[in-house]
Amino acid sequence: MILVNHVAAAVVFCLGLYAVLTHRNLIKMVMGLSLMEASTYLFMISLAYRDKSTAPIFLSPPKNPERLAHGNVADPVLQNFCLTAIVIGVAVTAVFLSVVVRIAQHYRTLDADRVRGMRG
Amino acid sequence: MSADHQPRRHVAVGALLTAGFAALLVAGLAGLPREHDPLPPIARYALEVALPRWKLTEPVNEVVYGTRGFDTFGETFLLLAAVLSVIVLTRPREGRRGYFGESAAGQEEQAELDPIETGPAEEQEARRAERGESRGDRPSTPDSTPLGTPGPETAEAMSVVVRGAVRTVLPVLAVAGLYLVTWGYSPGGGFPAGAVVTGVILLVYAAYGRSRIARAVKSETLEGIEMAGAGLILGTELLGLILRGSFSANWLPLAPPQTIRSGGVVQLFSFGELFEVATGLTIVIFSLLSMGHDWSPDPESEGDEE
Repeated sequence: MILVNHVAAAVVFCLGLYAVLTHRNLIKMVMGLSLMEASTYLFMISLAYRDKSTAPIFLSPPKNPERLAHGNVADPVLQNFCLTAIVIGVAVTAVFLSVVVRIAQHYRTLDADRVRGMRG
Repeated sequence: MSADHQPRRHVAVGALLTAGFAALLVAGLAGLPREHDPLPPIARYALEVALPRWKLTEPVNEVVYGTRGFDTFGETFLLLAAVLSVIVLTRPREGRRGYFGESAAGQEEQAELDPIETGPAEEQEARRAERGESRGDRPSTPDSTPLGTPGPETAEAMSVVVRGAVRTVLPVLAVAGLYLVTWGYSPGGGFPAGAVVTGVILLVYAAYGRSRIARAVKSETLEGIEMAGAGLILGTELLGLILRGSFSANWLPLAPPQTIRSGGVVQLFSFGELFEVATGLTIVIFSLLSMGHDWSPDPESEGDEE
């Protein structure tokens, strides 16, 4: 039942969204964004899965390549999305965190409501 | 800083918006392909062209660096932009080449003229904490700590057990990661291999401490390597445009499957990505770890805090 994975991804995404919307602690907001990001990895990998499928790897060069797509293999395109998203996600989280550290050093608080310089 | 204060706002509005979005997600999930549906045409296309056109037995690699090469190209420069942002955000106020010692001299003068340091209590507390973190007479490893010493671990490196384990695992991990990317066997090639190389560097850092890797992990060196990787990717993709008339087209002769050169430009791109990811993640992590406080007043932003 791959639907369980889809629902789990949606729940994790909503947890992250709720954290971002209700918490004012900047670290927790970054954690919420990371949760939303991680849920998309689970979602894309689950979307790539097919019943009894194997990893999209050819063990040896097959005899007639045009019949390949009819075998049970997982979707390589979605796995590729997930792969690049992980690395980009790490780098973007690092940007968030360095902004948070600078805010904490400058304003001496992690509470987004107390960072008053941002209220134009 | 109020670490134990947990501010929350608009819980009801947040819950309502989240519930609304959850309903949207459920509606979207209902129409998705499931485990018994056929693969979408783009996936079937990727599986069909991997061997005949690219001589690759690893379709994910073919998608990342071949069919979807242009997207990966954009993502690579997104990664580069993120790394540059972290470098800019974490840099100290003055870029300098050497140690001039004015901070130490200032501290001496302060001790002579004004021994009771004035300033906000928070700043004094943070300064004390920073002094506590800096290297003093700490032992380099826990092995050289006298028996029965009270208090938490203060050594820079970890114990001989961890160091021995890391020393054993490191060569295997490094060779395995590089082997997989060299032969084009790992899905995604340079992306996971770059993460493995970063992991190797972090293992050395965790087990042996900062001083053991300080010579290798210098931001000037890493930035140079990262730019070389970006240049390699840019050159590879542009040569496709010049020689074959299409950006990210293959212009190298294809070797038989399961050899080092079997993917043509895919392998070149993958190696460029290895340098990009490995140096980029390492720069980001060590920039964040070495973010120091900047205590000098900033007259331009004084008015913002009203």
